Amino acid sequence: MRISRKICVASVSALVLTVAACGGETTDGAARATNDGVRQTALLTVHDAWSRTADSGATAAVYFSLHNSAAEADTLVGVASDIADETMMHVSMEHGGTMRMAHVTSLPVPARDSVAFQPLGAHVMLSGLRRPLVAGDTIALTLRFSSGRTVGVRSGVRQP
Amino acid sequence: MHGTVMDPPSAAPPLVVAGDSTVPAWSLKDETGRTVVLFFGYTHCPDVCPTVLADWARAKRALGADTAAVRFVFVAMDPGRDTPARTQQHARQFDPAILGVATTDAEVARITRDWGFAVYAEGDPRTPNYTVAHPAQSFVVDRKGRLRLMLPPGVRGEDIAKDLRRIR
Repeated sequence: MRISRKICVASVSALVLTVAACGGETTDGAARATNDGVRQTALLTVHDAWSRTADSGATAAVYFSLHNSAAEADTLVGVASDIADETMMHVSMEHGGTMRMAHVTSLPVPARDSVAFQPLGAHVMLSGLRRPLVAGDTIALTLRFSSGRTVGVRSGVRQP
Repeated sequence: MHGTVMDPPSAAPPLVVAGDSTVPAWSLKDETGRTVVLFFGYTHCPDVCPTVLADWARAKRALGADTAAVRFVFVAMDPGRDTPARTQQHARQFDPAILGVATTDAEVARITRDWGFAVYAEGDPRTPNYTVAHPAQSFVVDRKGRLRLMLPPGVRGEDIAKDLRRIR
């Protein structure tokens, strides 16, 4: 559990900083005003989103690379989709030869940096798929950040 | 080698599952004469198990004709959800020749005792979406039934194939 505790502690401090910095302004994922008034678009971007094929009712993971090109850190605080009964952020971790998953409620995304959601690490877990994931399909997710921004993700389904 | 080499190797613990009317019983002993690669997981595992199974499928392709000398076996350790038929079908999604076998509660107890690892549910097992903690490594048993290698998850299929060619 050491890893997950570290993540939670880091997330709490990042969350406080982010809320303080943003002052409760609400923005959408496409554009927001920065402190110097310059308009920027697509400050948070998602690349290379993919999932494996899976049966209806099964569990699947979504992987992607999340990039924050803004000058301020942000924190991913929620993931949502219509395709599964439950959509959660998870981190796989090994401890003493045992593989476990930790449910993570927030994940910091540092300024001008990327966070990788990748096999054997952080991933979005879809539990109780409401339809099968077939190769060539695209599934939609929404990522929600502490800044108030949201980012839509379209994830391609690949053969396992 | 890309994992922990057992030196000297010793006999692998027994591993027997009863199967049911849809899928026959299976025993590690039945595979004597082949190298066996084992992973203990569950079919609702979203990340680690499918990553390992996909790497096995790549290893099989990299082995080419030599794949006939190797048996890949995914052992589901989640009797509450994983039936023999479901487990077999799940493993076949990755490669038709990967064997998927399910276990009963009694078999899970026996296997974890004999093999010396832990398997346990996390979250509420009465709900459909609990997770299961399981061994991280794949176990490689040689054609004489000796435990030779433990491979961590994340070893590429091509590297698994290389290691398997060296285990005779």
